[in-house]
Amino acid sequence: MELDRRNFIKFVAGGVGGTLLSPLPWKLVDDIAIWTQNWPWVPVPAKGKFSAVNTVCSLCSGACGIQVRKAGDRVVKIEGRSDFPVNRGALCPLGMAGQQILYNEGIRWKGPMKRVGPRGSEVFREITWDQAINELATRIRGLREQGAPEKLVAIDGNQSRSTVALMIQRFLDAVGSPNYLAVPREEDTHALVAHLMQGTQGPVPIDLENSDFILSFGCSLLDGWGGSGRMQSAWREFAGDKERNRTYLVQVDPRASRTALKADEWIAPLPGTEAALAMGIAHVIVKEKRYNNEFIENHAFGFDDWFDAKGKHRGFSRFVLETYAPAAVEKITGIQKSAINRLAKMFAGSRAPLAIAGRGKGLLPGSVYEFMAVHALNGLVGRINQRGNVLAAEDLPLASWPEATYDSVAVDGLNKERVDLAGSPRYPFSQGLLHRLCEATNSTQGPSIDTLLMCSANPIHSVPYGKDLKEAFEKIPFVTSFSPFRDETSMMADLILPDHTYLEKMADIVWPPGLQYPLYALSQPVVKPLYRTRHSGDVFISLAQRIGGTVSDSFGWEHFEEAIKERVKGLYDSGKGRIVARGGQPVWERLDKGGGVNKEYASFQSMWEGLKGSGCWYMPFHSFGRWPEIFQTPTKKFEFFSSKIDLALRSYAKGGSAGDAASELGIVSQGDAMSMPHYEEARTEADDKQYPLLLFPMELINLASGWIGNPPFLNKTLLDHQLEKDALFVELNPKTASQYGLAEGSRAVLRSPKGELTIRIHLFDGAMPGVVFIPLGLGHTAYDRYLRGKGVNPFDIIDPTEDPLSGQPVWWNTRVAVSRV
Amino acid sequence: METGQEQERKTKWDGWIFFVVGLIVALLVGWVVFPLLLYSEQRQPLNYSHVKHGPESGVGLECEECHFFYEDGSFSGIPGLSKCKECHEDPESLYTDSPEEAKLLEAFVEPNREIPWLVYSRQPDCVYFPHIAHVKMGEIECRVCHGDFASNDTLPAYKVNRLTRYSIDIWGRNIAGYKSNTWDRMKMDDCAECHTREAKEHNNACFVCHK
Repeated sequence: MELDRRNFIKFVAGGVGGTLLSPLPWKLVDDIAIWTQNWPWVPVPAKGKFSAVNTVCSLCSGACGIQVRKAGDRVVKIEGRSDFPVNRGALCPLGMAGQQILYNEGIRWKGPMKRVGPRGSEVFREITWDQAINELATRIRGLREQGAPEKLVAIDGNQSRSTVALMIQRFLDAVGSPNYLAVPREEDTHALVAHLMQGTQGPVPIDLENSDFILSFGCSLLDGWGGSGRMQSAWREFAGDKERNRTYLVQVDPRASRTALKADEWIAPLPGTEAALAMGIAHVIVKEKRYNNEFIENHAFGFDDWFDAKGKHRGFSRFVLETYAPAAVEKITGIQKSAINRLAKMFAGSRAPLAIAGRGKGLLPGSVYEFMAVHALNGLVGRINQRGNVLAAEDLPLASWPEATYDSVAVDGLNKERVDLAGSPRYPFSQGLLHRLCEATNSTQGPSIDTLLMCSANPIHSVPYGKDLKEAFEKIPFVTSFSPFRDETSMMADLILPDHTYLEKMADIVWPPGLQYPLYALSQPVVKPLYRTRHSGDVFISLAQRIGGTVSDSFGWEHFEEAIKERVKGLYDSGKGRIVARGGQPVWERLDKGGGVNKEYASFQSMWEGLKGSGCWYMPFHSFGRWPEIFQTPTKKFEFFSSKIDLALRSYAKGGSAGDAASELGIVSQGDAMSMPHYEEARTEADDKQYPLLLFPMELINLASGWIGNPPFLNKTLLDHQLEKDALFVELNPKTASQYGLAEGSRAVLRSPKGELTIRIHLFDGAMPGVVFIPLGLGHTAYDRYLRGKGVNPFDIIDPTEDPLSGQPVWWNTRVAVSRV
Repeated sequence: METGQEQERKTKWDGWIFFVVGLIVALLVGWVVFPLLLYSEQRQPLNYSHVKHGPESGVGLECEECHFFYEDGSFSGIPGLSKCKECHEDPESLYTDSPEEAKLLEAFVEPNREIPWLVYSRQPDCVYFPHIAHVKMGEIECRVCHGDFASNDTLPAYKVNRLTRYSIDIWGRNIAGYKSNTWDRMKMDDCAECHTREAKEHNNACFVCHK
């Protein structure tokens, strides 16, 4: 009996058998499986008691009510609130991914910083808040002592009329600088068109939900235009209920976008010719006398031929009849004349038709003449301030702060010319021209900008002239950023005074752009600030107080909250409005009922607490019609011939020819057409042969393209034919691709006169031939490893011209060439 | 004298002794040594007596006074220190001469430190278990899953699995996984067994518990 080879095998066999008959292997398998769940790098949900905080998302100005779910102190989920009147439960992907904006520490500044290395080298050192505020205050005080307060410039991306935006404007006013530059947006173009054609100021509400026929000229209704939550909620009504008399949606879009695919009809004119299509539709309406006679005769100006001291003027009706016959429009747009005729008949024959102009998500300004052409359709059918159309409304009854106090330095400074020439005879209709900073820094008479304040914006990445702005920034002696994020623009700063992110602070949204009833949204901090950041509102108060004198006198508040409260007091004093959303019926369905305007709060304090809890004050009421009162134009009518454009052109001409002045401004057309809605051919210096294709930047709902960097959650939702590893795909029609020897997935170079990008090709039948569709939002050179170097930034090669009326960059008509690599 | 044939048979059977030895050693390792190695015993931070606090005692607390539901329906689980402090608020005044009470006051109440209880029933993070659906809607008594804690004067030894870091009570104290009471194990199969028995088989779908 010895342990030979055979016996050893028997021993082992017995061992294996015994092991299998014991719980050891089975238990170990189970335990190892559970062990793998507990590896430290496996993400696990936060622990703690669950709670939910109701607030309002302030990532864009759409004002969606959100419910933030927390486990202990940790935000774990963000959902749309069904009790909020704007979005009624809906929320966009960016809003849902908001916790990554809060917790992704790689993208955040953790405290005030001072640049140590050369500019743009991204080497900073931490300093205290006291040091940071002192440094900036000393610099601004120095500018005032030199008598040059206008050398302080602020670029502000906060929603216009929000309390922070007003506070920054007030700060510049009190210091004595006229150079407050709001980041331009599409809502500015809508406001300008309302100003030129209706003479109205302030909000431009669009009663989209009550329309039964929507002619959307490029508004990506399902890709983020007009407040994503509101549009999703509206879509539920449009498309969900088959029994209801459904809204008919016609989407004008050069690409089979999500909106175009879901619309009842998709019309694809050549990009940039939308105005011609609108004018063609106007032609048919006029020719067939399908317009609203009562409105045209009594409340419109410039429709028929008219006379003044200079003689006879061509009216809008004769202008469209002579110029925009469907056959001519077909040549410009590529849309068959039969389709133009049919659309015109459907539009004019609907109960509540609406024509709206827009571009993508509405983050960037559009063409003024084009928006006017589209709005003229609403005028023709006499739907202005009627149910389902563009409304006229007064602003919210928020209280004004007491007038700021000005010393002589401030008064002198405010009388100086703006650095971007906005509001001057050259740019009479602009409030801020960001791209003109580039020229301002090239001035030979010494720097006209000394200190720049950057608030809630990342223009180096997300506006058409970003690359030029970066060069301009290099020449500005002192750049300060208030951004909470390590974005491209703050990387160029000398001093960083980081704000909280949106879930850590109080903020307000004053009348979300386009909403058809007055609404004031107040968002609450959901968590305590994670880092050593500070609310920009509070920082401006401290800065003003540190500067002293009249600047300090203009900022008597202790905290930002006091300043907000002071404005909200006006809502309370109006004795109107609601702070609680009630009932299942959407607000827009009951706007003419006149209910809900009674005050329902006992004291200001109780209203304030209620407002903080619900996040909104709104007035579910609108007074439709009222044509004799609403138009504030010089003629007190809806103007097809805009007296304001005419006046501006004449004052720019200074007694010379208005036509010459117009050419100088870049207006191609001549005569009375210059003051009327019309189609302007795109101006580009690029050679058609050298650059045969058109570059069309597109925006996707699951790719953040504004100030906020795309969070990793959303990167994961991009398909493999949109982003693969670091390569961004552009969409090309298969026919166009084959002309250039390109196939699915080919690597290629896109070249414009401005530069080139390396991309890959995705073939898409829904892309218009001859056009390259490229998504906006990627190509960051800052942020963290999830964003930096992912894809390319189309703005790097976009070669903008200036829109003749607004002066804003035209970012949709860059000519490009594509070649395989 | 053994014949060659017998010799050969004997050698053949002798060899099987090795097999049996191997078998027995492996069985011993699997059934006895392995469980001893797998679990390590830990002491609770405090020996809480349910008997001394419960309905039958002088204190007369009902179970749900400490283990209660929040207004939103979530379950409080093991009470926090604030619950203890409702009675044991003064570190200087003791109700009994129990060393455990002295320890409570000295180590936790006085420095206001939460008691780091070791939870016998802690489940992995991937499991979503709502107490309210079982206790209120399903009317299941606590003891059905947790055993008869109310009659415990001392807390049972907490044995933690060295690999998974969960308590032995999840797999069950029997290494083979046999159980004679409903509260002997808390594995997924036990959930499913009860759902099936109570004609709630639809609740055995993955996403009901693994959200």
